[in-house]
Amino acid sequence: MRSILDRYAPAPAFDEFAEADGRPRPHYAELAATLAGISAADFRHRVTTVNGVLLQRGVTFTVYADARGTERILPFDLIPRIIAASEWAHISRGVSQRVRALNAFLKDVYGEAKVLRDRIIPRTLVYSSEHFEREAIGVRPPHDTYIHVSGIDIIRDAHGEYLVLEDNVRTPSGISYVLENRDVLKRAFPRLFDRYDPLPVDDYPQRLRNALAAAAPPSVGDPTIAILTPGIYNSAYFEHTLLARRMGVELVEGTDLIVRDNIVYMKTTRGLQRVDVLYRRVDDDYIDPLYFKADSTLGVSGLFDAYRSGNVTLANAVGTGVADDKAIYPYVPALIRYYLGEEPVLRNVETFDCSDPAQRDHVLRNMPFLVVKRTAASGGYGMLIGSHSTVGERAEFADAINANPRDFIAQPIITLSAHPTVVGEEIAPRHIDLRPFALLSGDTVDVPAVAFTRVALREGSLVVNSSQGGGSKDTWILAD
Amino acid sequence: MLSRVAESLYWMARNVERAEDLARLIDVTAMRAVDHADDAGERWLSAYNIAGMDVPESHGLSARSTALEAIVFDVDSRLSVAACVRIARQNAVGVRAELTTEVWECVNGLYLFVEAQSPRAVGPDGVSTFLRSIRDTAQAFGGLCDATLAHDDAWEFLRIGRSIERARMTSRVLREIRDDDGPHVWQLVLEACCATAPFARARSQSSDPAEALAFLALSPVFPRSLRFCARQIDRALHRLSGAPAGTFADTSERASGRICASLDFAGQADLAREGTSEFADRIGAQIDELGSSIVSTYFPRVPVR
Repeated sequence: MRSILDRYAPAPAFDEFAEADGRPRPHYAELAATLAGISAADFRHRVTTVNGVLLQRGVTFTVYADARGTERILPFDLIPRIIAASEWAHISRGVSQRVRALNAFLKDVYGEAKVLRDRIIPRTLVYSSEHFEREAIGVRPPHDTYIHVSGIDIIRDAHGEYLVLEDNVRTPSGISYVLENRDVLKRAFPRLFDRYDPLPVDDYPQRLRNALAAAAPPSVGDPTIAILTPGIYNSAYFEHTLLARRMGVELVEGTDLIVRDNIVYMKTTRGLQRVDVLYRRVDDDYIDPLYFKADSTLGVSGLFDAYRSGNVTLANAVGTGVADDKAIYPYVPALIRYYLGEEPVLRNVETFDCSDPAQRDHVLRNMPFLVVKRTAASGGYGMLIGSHSTVGERAEFADAINANPRDFIAQPIITLSAHPTVVGEEIAPRHIDLRPFALLSGDTVDVPAVAFTRVALREGSLVVNSSQGGGSKDTWILAD
Repeated sequence: MLSRVAESLYWMARNVERAEDLARLIDVTAMRAVDHADDAGERWLSAYNIAGMDVPESHGLSARSTALEAIVFDVDSRLSVAACVRIARQNAVGVRAELTTEVWECVNGLYLFVEAQSPRAVGPDGVSTFLRSIRDTAQAFGGLCDATLAHDDAWEFLRIGRSIERARMTSRVLREIRDDDGPHVWQLVLEACCATAPFARARSQSSDPAEALAFLALSPVFPRSLRFCARQIDRALHRLSGAPAGTFADTSERASGRICASLDFAGQADLAREGTSEFADRIGAQIDELGSSIVSTYFPRVPVR
């Protein structure tokens, strides 16, 4: 029998699955054995079945650029990514440390601003951030928790070292794919789980609920929690419904809420019901037309006043976006040292700050070898990969950098690690990244054993974002 | 529960029910047209009336395929089977967090199934099977709602939506009856309401058309009779408000109570005196009003308190 693994050739990158000599790494050996026993035809059949199940379940996202607003399933690759216990311990320590430092940074910049006086980070960089919210200065959220939920994007370089590529501390998404991918894979292909015992992912909703309950205003005994969604046209709407259902809380839209006397209520069939904690999946700019974008219909008038009066907890807090601004990112290792007195567990990717003249020159001279990113953008939008760009595109970016240097950073092009992935009839290496999620309450960071692996399905592509042709994998984190 | 959610549940149930009822109506009409070709044109016109649709110009050329196109597939009308399925699914998306996986997948599956079809793909020989699948899935939806959702307020709004739409359909079918209609017409009417076997069991020895019509209007035990549906709505409203049966706490309960009373105390002779068509028309209008007062009671645009 011909197996789909027969022709697998490791990538010219760090291959997660195979050693340099082509043999599977120890924690992939059992998976390799299982895959070797599955015929190409059987595998193809499973792929079709799984895609059908995901469509029926409606595990879809909306592509904004597509005028028809089509729902698509996020391509799901059946070959799981496996992370050994020791590696996960390292990642989880690094994520936890980073989230604590970023939260301390937020508490500081919206409070005493000591970090600016001590010149750890340039004042102008913070105050010029598009996501720095002046209104949030002096507003202290319960327990000083700003970043209740975060997703830290991690990659592996050519030597296999885990590096932080990006912090997401506003409204990171992806958890629904983690939950659904595991569920679908278990049903459709139980054999893949043979001889592995990955840590379960299904307790995430309960842990999120616990973290949100702990964040309630201190006077509230049994808090009413709700998830605020921008609505059915949001690309992550499916995720909002899944979390609401699994957490057993209401999923509300802006029009379901009303604020009276600085208290937030939901409009129910039995009158108004008070809300204590809003896990909002709506960006700061849209939560309250009285303070932010005046034409926004996604939020509710008066929400910010209710928040400022301490009558409702917003998760994440208002203004967290300054901490994941890409121009702040190069300073995060310094923030870790400053606030925690520790060395960073996970290193940053080397980054050039275009607002610094010397670094800007370096960027402009070396564009074909760099990735240039807009500091305020996310989701794979607004970036230039030097090696895959035309002279015209580079000139366009150079002009934009010279016009607004603050809005750009650049990084060397890192060849992300690669992982066996189903490509047509074969299995071939494709580049991947990793997004673990962290839940913060007070000083305690909970890093559940759930992580989202994205895969760039196009050969050689380094862009894993779902909006840019990325797919996902089930991620198995092994117990000790 | 959220008013928006209650409203979406209500419309979701109404639209699934309507899709089921229309699919059955078209199937039954097509089957009867085979036996009574002389009367077929008339019966198709009747189907448009029941569906609340204008008769397309191409009706004269090919009554059957025109009806199929308009009543089943035309998504622009908002009244067709395909449009109802689309609206129901849209509602389901908006309340997805409230639904069980089973109920959601059922609606989503129905939507994906209908969207993938067209008159050409179904073909003349596949119509009955296609309509049957829609009915089956719509009925499975009802069963899954009953068997997997908690019977709380959310479920009561589903029950109200389903019962209102069912009562409207029965009243519209009865409204099409004329005194000189032949036996095949009232048999069609029974079939369109799923009532053939229940009526056969309930009828007296010397049954006549009037008795069948009275059964559809007044049976206390047949689930698609006007009376049965009105009772369902009334009970659901009282469970929502907590008001004791026989009293009313708001305008919608008052409206449902009135309808129940007029059906509880009517008999076959009253139908004959008023005329079945007129009777059905009057009750149908009252049910529409009831629908409006439920909307203003439970889904107000501006909250009262």
